[in-house]
Amino acid sequence: MSNNLDDELRRALRPVDPGEEFAQRVVARIARDSTVSRRHAIARYQWLPAALAASVVLGFLTTHDWRMRHEQQGLEARKELLEALRVTGAKLDLAYRVLNDEARVSANGISGA
Amino acid sequence: MRISARKLALEFIALMAVVATAMAAAPDVQLNMPSFDSLAAKASDSVSITLDSALLGIAAGFLDSSKPEDAAAKELIGGLKGIYVKSYTFDKDFTYPTAEVESVRRQLAPPLWQRLVGVRSHKERANVDIYMAVEQGKANGLVIIASEPREFTVVNIVGSIDLQKLHKLEGKFGIPKLQLEEKK
Repeated sequence: MSNNLDDELRRALRPVDPGEEFAQRVVARIARDSTVSRRHAIARYQWLPAALAASVVLGFLTTHDWRMRHEQQGLEARKELLEALRVTGAKLDLAYRVLNDEARVSANGISGA
Repeated sequence: MRISARKLALEFIALMAVVATAMAAAPDVQLNMPSFDSLAAKASDSVSITLDSALLGIAAGFLDSSKPEDAAAKELIGGLKGIYVKSYTFDKDFTYPTAEVESVRRQLAPPLWQRLVGVRSHKERANVDIYMAVEQGKANGLVIIASEPREFTVVNIVGSIDLQKLHKLEGKFGIPKLQLEEKK
């Protein structure tokens, strides 16, 4: 009984040559699977270069816009500063002129007296 | 490492107290400028300039040191915290509403503010008052109030004003020789 079982198991588990076709089929399957998975991977990350490019463009535009605004603000501030100093200068000039006139008038008054 | 909320709150209160004390200690040389709406409505030309320390810093970055005017301006604004100008020009002689002008003058009281110059010209019908805020021997603010028949101007410069630097501006921005040489 035991011998029969052993014989049956031995027969069932005997090495069988799958033949050359099997090896080729396995190799072909592996090649096909890797191609498909590579294709899937490529398809999955296809948006990445576009997103990177969009980010770079967006970053560039944001920086450019900030620079333009900063420059515009700076030029406007410079213009206002020079205008403020011009007005200040004009009023100091007025004060100086009036003081000078008064001094001249009083000097003339003293010399005339 | 755990910092208790109570400790943080105490530190925050202490910091606020220090800031409040510092703010209370520093006299405000920035004028509370009236809106001068009635002047603006009748003016043929008005100039309103508000340059706080941030804007002065930005403006300084855009001054070209190779230009004499820009270089002088850059040197002058080094210690400044703000420049505020309101100027109104009229087509015909105009009587200014005294209330608004007086509200400016009321802020220029001693001991902080000293009137440096007060000139009244009958010939030019112009009044110019120049006030300076002096703290610990240093000029920290300048106000010019100039009223002419067709022009009214208030200038408020906040910050450390170096009169010698102002003196260097002569010949630029229409500023004449100011005779600021030190007395010997």
